[in-house]
Amino acid sequence: MIPVTYRASFSYLLRHPWQLLLSLLGIGVGVAVIVAVDLANASARKAFLLSMDAVTGAATHQVIGGPRGVPEAVYVDLRLDGIRSIAPVVEDTVVVDGASLTVLGVDLFAEQEIRSFTGESESRDDDGAGGRAALFSGFLVSPGAVTTTGQTAMELGLEPGDAFTVRANGRRHTAELLSIFPGDSGGLDRMLVADIATAQEWLGRPGWLSRIDVRIEDGDEAALAALESALPDGTRLLSAARRTQSTADMSKAFMTNLTAMSLLALLVGLFLIFNSVSFSVLQRRPLIGTLRALGLTRRQLLAMILVESGVVGLTAAVIGLVLGIVLGEQLLGLVTRSINDFYFRVNVTDVSVDAFSIAKGFVAGVGAALVAAAFPAYEATSYEPRLALTRSVLERRARSALPALTLAGLAAILAAVLLISFSGTNLVAGLTATFMLILGFAMGVPSFVHLASQLTAPVAQSMGGTPARLAVAGIGTGLSRTGVAIVALAVAVSATLGISVMVDSFRGSVNAWLRDTLQADIYAGAGRGSLDPALVDALRNLDGVDASSTTRQVTLEDSDGRTRVRVIEMAPGSYAGGEILDGDRDAVWAAWESGDAVLASDPYAFQKGVGAGDTITLPTDKGPREFDLVARFQSYDINASVLLMSRTTYNRHFNDDAIDSVGLYLADGVDVDAVITAVQEAASGTQSVRVASNAGIRQQSLRIFDRTFVITDVLYWLALGVAFIGILSAMLALQLERAREFATLRALGMTPRQVGGLITAQTGAIGLLSGLAAIPLGIVMAWVLIRVINRRAFGWQIDMTVGVEILLVSVVFSIGAALLAGLYPAWRAGRSQPAIAMREE
Amino acid sequence: MLVTLPVLSQEAPQPPSQLANLLGSDADTGFAKALQPREFVFPADHGPHPEFRNEWWYVTGNLDGEAGERFGYELTFFRFALAPDSADSDSDWRTNQVYIAHLAVTDAGDERFFVAQRYSRGALGLAGARAEPFGVWIDDWRMEQEQVGWQLEAHDDEFGIDVNLVALRQPVLNGVDGLSQKSAAPGNASYYYSITRLLTNGALRIGERTFKVSGVSWLDREWSTSALADDQVGWDWFALQLADGRDLMFYSLRKKDGSQDAASAGTFVNPDGSVTHLGPDDLVIDVLDTWESPEGGAYPSRWQLSLPGEDLEMTVTPVIPNQELFTTVRYWEGAVDVAGAYRGQPFDGRGYVELTGYAE
Repeated sequence: MIPVTYRASFSYLLRHPWQLLLSLLGIGVGVAVIVAVDLANASARKAFLLSMDAVTGAATHQVIGGPRGVPEAVYVDLRLDGIRSIAPVVEDTVVVDGASLTVLGVDLFAEQEIRSFTGESESRDDDGAGGRAALFSGFLVSPGAVTTTGQTAMELGLEPGDAFTVRANGRRHTAELLSIFPGDSGGLDRMLVADIATAQEWLGRPGWLSRIDVRIEDGDEAALAALESALPDGTRLLSAARRTQSTADMSKAFMTNLTAMSLLALLVGLFLIFNSVSFSVLQRRPLIGTLRALGLTRRQLLAMILVESGVVGLTAAVIGLVLGIVLGEQLLGLVTRSINDFYFRVNVTDVSVDAFSIAKGFVAGVGAALVAAAFPAYEATSYEPRLALTRSVLERRARSALPALTLAGLAAILAAVLLISFSGTNLVAGLTATFMLILGFAMGVPSFVHLASQLTAPVAQSMGGTPARLAVAGIGTGLSRTGVAIVALAVAVSATLGISVMVDSFRGSVNAWLRDTLQADIYAGAGRGSLDPALVDALRNLDGVDASSTTRQVTLEDSDGRTRVRVIEMAPGSYAGGEILDGDRDAVWAAWESGDAVLASDPYAFQKGVGAGDTITLPTDKGPREFDLVARFQSYDINASVLLMSRTTYNRHFNDDAIDSVGLYLADGVDVDAVITAVQEAASGTQSVRVASNAGIRQQSLRIFDRTFVITDVLYWLALGVAFIGILSAMLALQLERAREFATLRALGMTPRQVGGLITAQTGAIGLLSGLAAIPLGIVMAWVLIRVINRRAFGWQIDMTVGVEILLVSVVFSIGAALLAGLYPAWRAGRSQPAIAMREE
Repeated sequence: MLVTLPVLSQEAPQPPSQLANLLGSDADTGFAKALQPREFVFPADHGPHPEFRNEWWYVTGNLDGEAGERFGYELTFFRFALAPDSADSDSDWRTNQVYIAHLAVTDAGDERFFVAQRYSRGALGLAGARAEPFGVWIDDWRMEQEQVGWQLEAHDDEFGIDVNLVALRQPVLNGVDGLSQKSAAPGNASYYYSITRLLTNGALRIGERTFKVSGVSWLDREWSTSALADDQVGWDWFALQLADGRDLMFYSLRKKDGSQDAASAGTFVNPDGSVTHLGPDDLVIDVLDTWESPEGGAYPSRWQLSLPGEDLEMTVTPVIPNQELFTTVRYWEGAVDVAGAYRGQPFDGRGYVELTGYAE
């Protein structure tokens, strides 16, 4: 038999379907957001690891080389020396039908030690042995022959035997789908496996390998040493697992940021849950008092409320999980796009529903419901039965708790400040501090509201008469109910404000930096890969071109990880742009040009803890060499952690004359568009190049910048959604609880319209107070995001600018959201029958 | 001699007939064919003939250790052209030539048999063949002209050989002036020569032990664009070096119905180097015993060979029964002992036998 307490509990819930629904929705949305972000992150990461796994195969190590890769002669020599468990790989990105795919060029003859592509391959001719033979001979004999997974073939709309066009490094090539991998080879999705000759032909890299995959049995130090000693200068043997890790690390900061934003959403969600449960407990105070009077123990009542919250939390968590998975799929597309744009190519077709992510969301939902319920439940059941029935006691207590709460808030803020000051470059500490700040501010909000409503009530009276005064003062006197809603809205608004200020400041800095950095009038590049040398000459000699600069972007890798190096040949009399942060500009550029020197971007210097005067060891084609770090420069590149090296210096140390892009400086009066057309004409037939004017690149860069923050947008809209539901539920509950009060007002002669107006005024005031409370928190959050989070995550130094408009928008937005949430309760209150509402429930 | 195609897999080997289907009926279009006798020129013909689809350098030998140990070895390099021509390419990896090598060592005393395989494309010097100075190789396995004779060196983890071969005889042209017909169809023939005796000295390694060895080897060289005919299932090949100075090569092509194909033929080399060509009926082969492979299938395992025209009888016995290779194609290739009588005079000998198409 269900104990009477639970029956009371459930009948209460059923009689308040709106409240129940909102509680469910509140917890559900909170859970959904963390689950979604977690799933999107985990799926992207899992897909990446799966794909790395498939690509790495049984390789334990990899031989890598300089910017162009490993000369294939190195591989041949190792083979002829009798080293067998090695396989050459030529790998890069190609484009098919607008989709990025990886071409993995392999030598099937060397693959048996590393990977298996030959399972029971399903080919157009035959199966089993025939399929394998067809694969081997097809790879060798038919240039452009590839195999891929069934999934990828389906996505590209290809059947075995179909020919299709592949664009690599700006050139078109014809490919033929020879066969499809058998079974589930998900790791190789979006990968075209081709013969190494085909890959070299497509990518324009005859003579070079991307790497040599090596399999060395665990602990076979002798084999490792033998291989290492056989390697010529400029090549290195690295652990495959480490390389995978350092690739994954590139996107770590990005994913951490995303997680941080999802936690922000949960934080807002937590307030909401607390809010819902508080109301449900507050409303039942009379019932609780009655039950206590009937002899139920405090413990029984506490259990009743907690079980109830637990059940609600459980149900909401389930709803949230389902919602989260759906949302996760949407989010995944955005995450994948960002990762592909900036870090590495990852293909995620489905959200993989990871048990751990689900568990986290579940625990967060149920746990949050219980924790949120515990405090109000304890409070409600701690009174003497008689007292529990009185509201005034409650409000008094709520108000008397204000100083303590405010003090606790101040302590949290202080702790956050200390944490930021003493945590160096630790990103997690930065995020923790951010949450502590939010928490601290949140605890201060009720005091602020109380004070503000006290102070503004007379003003409201003079402006809008008694109803206005009632509305404003009602907020302060109903603090136990309204406080939580205000805090939730304030936190959500401040989050949007903080993020907006951060994004705006960032955008401003980037814009200024782009103007400073982009010196040439026209830029032409291969997009991915390098330009045809003859084309470079042709472009530099176009009519109207006064001078030119070139760049080459390479990644140098050794056992310490990867270093991005931008190699620049400056136009005579020009400089590479960007603000030099140390020393005299002219002296810095001169020193950079002349010796073995580099400039470090500020993010690089920050992350590596180096500065002007230090030396940096880089793996050159002639072995490791030391370079002087002359100075730091400003950079907002997404991959801003970079070294700048002059072409002359680079050519001394690397056997690589490739050029990725050229900057053309036009003579006075030459038409930019005409030269762009000339560039396109020069390139047509050789290589498709990306040409853009100075202004065009700036616009494009800012577009990419904006795209990056699409995810941020999505998340803070979700946070606002949660807050909105909070206000709605708070106002509904308030309205329900104060039904008698409103009925009295009606009975005293107020029209339904006036009662509705009272409620609307009150919600409007709540919005206003929330908006005002959000401003300091928002600005502090922006500061923390800019100076702590972004600095620690990406190394960017951004100049913070706060526009007045954004502050106004925040307040107006806050009021708007509150008013919108108050519409339904106001309408409902206006419609209520005074006579019925005045009867005791 | 082994007609095979490069189906490269770690899994079970594939039956040649199934492989033959792969190429279809006109797959040999564009390749050179052995249609008529040609002039053999050495050392040029020791080198590759890439315009033909298949080619091999097939060395087998019987060796003795210093303490009387008895060994056999096989080191074979196969060349396959996957297409008549290679596509033009900037990439040096692009080629139509593929090389496969088989290494097998028989340790008769311990009744052990070792097999290893290598394969590679014939590009970038990873694998290849050349006439002058002679060489054929895959990775670090090689058969190469040295100052004196040819050096054969091939090592796997468990075993290996490093031996020097000096020809004791001039190349012998098999078939009609070196044109060896494999079925009635024109062009289904190979160019085929052998050096039936090569003095062999060097080292043979099994595990950690290295044996100083000496003995006699046999080289078979063959190139063609032919495959088994539809009604053929495999062949038995004998390469026997008799103590009285005579050498016998015979291949018996077996048909699906169990009979011997009329294209079966052989060569009998006399002690003075003169040659007698053998037709299908000149040698009578009686199987005396069979060996069941633990992996399934049964191989003939002892033979009575008689050349009625020459008054020659002999028994051929494998030194150990299990000399089966699980490589791209499953076959039996093993060292044998010979005992017999020629015109009443007893003799003994050694040799190698190859059996294909028995276990598929």
